[in-house]
Amino acid sequence: MGRILADIAFARSGDKGDISNIGVIAKDPASFEELKSILTPERIKAHFKDWVKGDVLVYEMPNIEAFNVICKQALGGGATRTLRFDQTGKAMSTALLRMPIG
Amino acid sequence: MLTDAGGANPLAGAKKVVEIAQRNGYQGMKVGVVTGDDVLDQVMRMHADGFVFENLDNGDTEFELIKDRVVAANAYIGSDGMIEALAGGSDMVVAGRVSDNAMYVAPLMHEFGWTFDQPDKVGAAVTIGHLLECAALMNGSLSNFWAEAGDTWNIGFPFADVSEDGTAIFSKLPGTGGLVTEMTLKEQLVYEIADPSRYLMPDGIADFTKPHFQQLGKDVVKATGMTGIKRPDTLKVCVGYMDGWIGEAIAMFSWPNAREKAEKGAEIVRRRLDSLGVKPIDISYELMGVNTLHGPTAPEPKCEPNEVGLRIAARCNTREEADIVRREALHLWTLGGVGSAILPPGRPRPVIGLWPTLIPRSEVHIDVDVLTA
Repeated sequence: MGRILADIAFARSGDKGDISNIGVIAKDPASFEELKSILTPERIKAHFKDWVKGDVLVYEMPNIEAFNVICKQALGGGATRTLRFDQTGKAMSTALLRMPIG
Repeated sequence: MLTDAGGANPLAGAKKVVEIAQRNGYQGMKVGVVTGDDVLDQVMRMHADGFVFENLDNGDTEFELIKDRVVAANAYIGSDGMIEALAGGSDMVVAGRVSDNAMYVAPLMHEFGWTFDQPDKVGAAVTIGHLLECAALMNGSLSNFWAEAGDTWNIGFPFADVSEDGTAIFSKLPGTGGLVTEMTLKEQLVYEIADPSRYLMPDGIADFTKPHFQQLGKDVVKATGMTGIKRPDTLKVCVGYMDGWIGEAIAMFSWPNAREKAEKGAEIVRRRLDSLGVKPIDISYELMGVNTLHGPTAPEPKCEPNEVGLRIAARCNTREEADIVRREALHLWTLGGVGSAILPPGRPRPVIGLWPTLIPRSEVHIDVDVLTA
């Protein structure tokens, strides 16, 4: 059984318009180092398939051993417009946590 | 007490507060009113004069296409007006669309006499505001630590004891649910941000790649190293415009073959809408229990579910069309497979599309008034 992101990180997501931001917090210092090579924009965009239509950006926050993942055009048009049940993408966090990391 | 509860009419809100204060014997109480966030007139005039309001979400510049459907334009104003109201002796301040953050920056700047020429101090205030502004989201709600967060039905409201040097100690009242740890502060620091080294607020730009959190005791965490740079010359404006109607419904389908019944339910509604010539701008069919929350990242379920829900949501040009979607979905009550159930769907709701953009600070005129009860 391969590992998934949830094995080494916590996550919490929020919204700004049609942008989903997913904070990814390492469970420990070793996991933070490992996450640096795992959390690439390409890999994250591929994981979300057609749910993330725009660019993905990843910012490091070494002070708290965390990352901020920005997914553009990722919420079906944004909270007021989207047809998704999860209007503000609160579950984008746990969706990312199930990403396989080998 | 500072609040943005003034909504679209802060003056009316403040007058109501005065009335309640008088009724309860608080004669002499001062209530500040902060307005100026409503920039609808400026936006429409500037657009007519050729100013380009770029959509910050997607780079769209075709404001002309929505201008006749605009219903509101409000700037996220900073703490300036609330600081002025506090200086004028206000016991309470009722504001319009100030940034949530500014309601925490204002009292700190007022109390310590900090100015906008002290960007590190303002940066600390912005960071503290960010950590506190979503209430219990800082201390164990919407959290990865929900299971160990105790009595979250009675969760404590977080607070910070702030020192003049710009450090802060975060905690919550004893005897309440939730928890305050380095991890829960991290959860809130990463919440609803963009570039963490440039957290843009009307009062300053904080650097979230600098603060450190240290657990001092149970439910007590100290934050140090908070910094920032000078506030931006522009303010964010949310322009709201009418963007159609949404009609929606949820049906449930039971074992056996719940998923297959739900998928057939979607087919039934799709074909009936086709036959009526209803063409939604966009329509979605989510399978609840399968892929509603995780979409394409959800793996195929490995076992036969007890039940599966079908949520249908359609965005239409007119209210009438959205209502037809609702009524056609209701037919699943009888057209669905054996063991289908549906709640009467709610009425169509209007869609307010948002066009987030920037406006020069010089175009926004903040007014402060202080009423006395």
